[in-house]
Amino acid sequence: MKYRVLLVLLASWFLLAPSVLTAQEDLWEDDWGDQDEGLVWTGFVEAGFGTRWDADPRLEDGETLAELTVRSETEKQFGDRAIAWSGDLAYDAVEEEWRLAVRELSFSTSLGPKVELRLGRQVQTWGTGDLVFLNDLFPKDFVSFFAGRDDEYLKSPADSVRLTAYLGKVNLDLVWTPVFTPDVYLTGERFSFFSGPAGRLVAPRPPAAAIEPARTFEQAEFALRLFRTVRGRELALYGYHGFFKGPSALLETASTSLLPTFAPLNSWGASLRQSAGVGVLHAELAYYDSIDDRDGDDPLVPNDQLRTLVGYEWEARKGVTVGLQYALDWTLDYRALRRNSRDQRFDPDEVRHLLTNRLTYRSSLGRYTVSLFTFYSPSDQDYYFRPSLHYRHNDQWSLTLGASVLGGQDPFTFFGQLEDASNAYLRLRFSY
Amino acid sequence: MTRQRILLTLGVLFLVGTGSSGLAQSNLEDADAIVARANLAAYYAGADGRSEVRMIIADAQGRQQRRQFTVLRSDVEDGGDQKFLVSFSQPSDVRGTVFLVHKHADRDDDRWLYLPGLDLVKRISAGDKRTSFVGAHYFYEDVSGRSPSEDLHRFVEATETHYVLEHEPREDADVEFHRYVTWIDRSTFLPTKIEYHNEAGQIYRRVEVLAVEKIDGNPTVTASRVSDLLSGGQTDMQFRYIKYDLGLPAEVFTERSLRNPPRQWLQRPTD
Repeated sequence: MKYRVLLVLLASWFLLAPSVLTAQEDLWEDDWGDQDEGLVWTGFVEAGFGTRWDADPRLEDGETLAELTVRSETEKQFGDRAIAWSGDLAYDAVEEEWRLAVRELSFSTSLGPKVELRLGRQVQTWGTGDLVFLNDLFPKDFVSFFAGRDDEYLKSPADSVRLTAYLGKVNLDLVWTPVFTPDVYLTGERFSFFSGPAGRLVAPRPPAAAIEPARTFEQAEFALRLFRTVRGRELALYGYHGFFKGPSALLETASTSLLPTFAPLNSWGASLRQSAGVGVLHAELAYYDSIDDRDGDDPLVPNDQLRTLVGYEWEARKGVTVGLQYALDWTLDYRALRRNSRDQRFDPDEVRHLLTNRLTYRSSLGRYTVSLFTFYSPSDQDYYFRPSLHYRHNDQWSLTLGASVLGGQDPFTFFGQLEDASNAYLRLRFSY
Repeated sequence: MTRQRILLTLGVLFLVGTGSSGLAQSNLEDADAIVARANLAAYYAGADGRSEVRMIIADAQGRQQRRQFTVLRSDVEDGGDQKFLVSFSQPSDVRGTVFLVHKHADRDDDRWLYLPGLDLVKRISAGDKRTSFVGAHYFYEDVSGRSPSEDLHRFVEATETHYVLEHEPREDADVEFHRYVTWIDRSTFLPTKIEYHNEAGQIYRRVEVLAVEKIDGNPTVTASRVSDLLSGGQTDMQFRYIKYDLGLPAEVFTERSLRNPPRQWLQRPTD
């Protein structure tokens, strides 16, 4: 009875909930927080269910999401210093485990009037793309993204030191992550994936684990951003030294097989974001320098890439926002790649084109939000549709219904491999 | 949208004060001159200011929601560019969200929203100003304002206490109102009531001042209400812990404050 624990948890939640539900009295009665009441705890309790609509022959479970999550958040300030906490305690019935996930446990302080330091576990985001990341090489959780957890979970935390200097004309961000923190990638636990060496979709048991770089200071990640805003035009330069965030390289092991691993990476880039016409325009560029395969002739390591992105977002009608993006990933030294390919059938295209479209409608008071985000690659011929309906009943209760619809011509493209992962989900959240 | 509306609403919303020195009743008939004075009174009191704000949003069924936030404002130029920083503390799903506006007299405003869950600094397009501000009956534009030059102003009458003006958008393509009427206090120049009329001649939206207090020498709105007369919903706002002329430095209104809220300025004044 795999779901017994979850059912017991849900039952207790719903038994307790009515007492909270009826607690809403006259909201003016509440004070302004005049007294120092010590730590203020906020967060939510959320139940999530999701199921694929076609069975995945490689996986036993139809469920892609079955969990109850309790989030807690707080912050304690001491002058210009602060300690922040955000974490989830969850029971996950798909993986049949309890999980304590710390999203943030950080200490921040000012080092003089121009420098801020934040130390510890934290979530970081930069760059201009909307769900498309070039210079943002902080970890992403694609499993949560495909499973229909809240968008916030796409950004996964890391244990880092972030130093930000506001120097007037130019500002500088430096993020040092001493232990390489990869994306949360596909392992076959919840979704099957395409394995290059096997040449097919797999869902290994135990789930696949990529070989991670040694936990030494030499293998640390450094991310750098220089940024400034001039008359509403945001300009930034980026640098990164670390590894590809997904296990896109293969390691030859003494035994027999090739194991997935993370290839060393340097990245350089730039971005621009500004108002233009009735909307906001953004453009971004990144050069991925694949340190171990600069000539592109090692079939086990990804080649250098030039990545570009341009996008525009505007309000097309009252309450309706439209965002369009075009991304182009150009794989360099392509002839060397083809010449040395292990299996030409699965080679990436030299140029990958990706179009995204965001359509969002918000009802007048924001009670309903209807959204469709679409990824479509005309070169890979694969797609990912993310429709959702969010209903905010009041400050406490909200409901989200959505789906991840994935597929494509070939099983070895990014979205194509996930055709059997297509799922619909529902999330009910109580915020406190 | 009317600048006036902005004026009004912003004024009503935040830190309204009067730019006029005395409280003697004025006697004007030039609509543009009155609007200019009201603009200063409603939006540009002091060189800068802070206020804590709470809103109760009620729908027609009486169901209530609550928002609470702190606003910092700084004027680049009286009657011209301004900057706003809005930092949310309630409800819990928007706690930590920060909204930054650089309001420009001669071009579209620059607006940013910081979403702490994703550590995301989002740029908001200038087009969607007339959508609800965090679920309230107030609009974004009510917070960040709009140039008086976008409307044509007409003097209707002077009552014993108020100037009554009528305003029409110069370009009505992107506004939901046909015209609006304002009542401007003759001594403080604070707009105390605005009524929005639709194409059919119905009054469908009303903004009204419920309380005014003199703070740091500036007559300041401390309670106001927006009513949606068609749906029956309304949002009440209260202002507390207001202070003017704090000497807010320019860097308070930069990306820095989105990720690192300026605690020194957001915390309550002690006196």
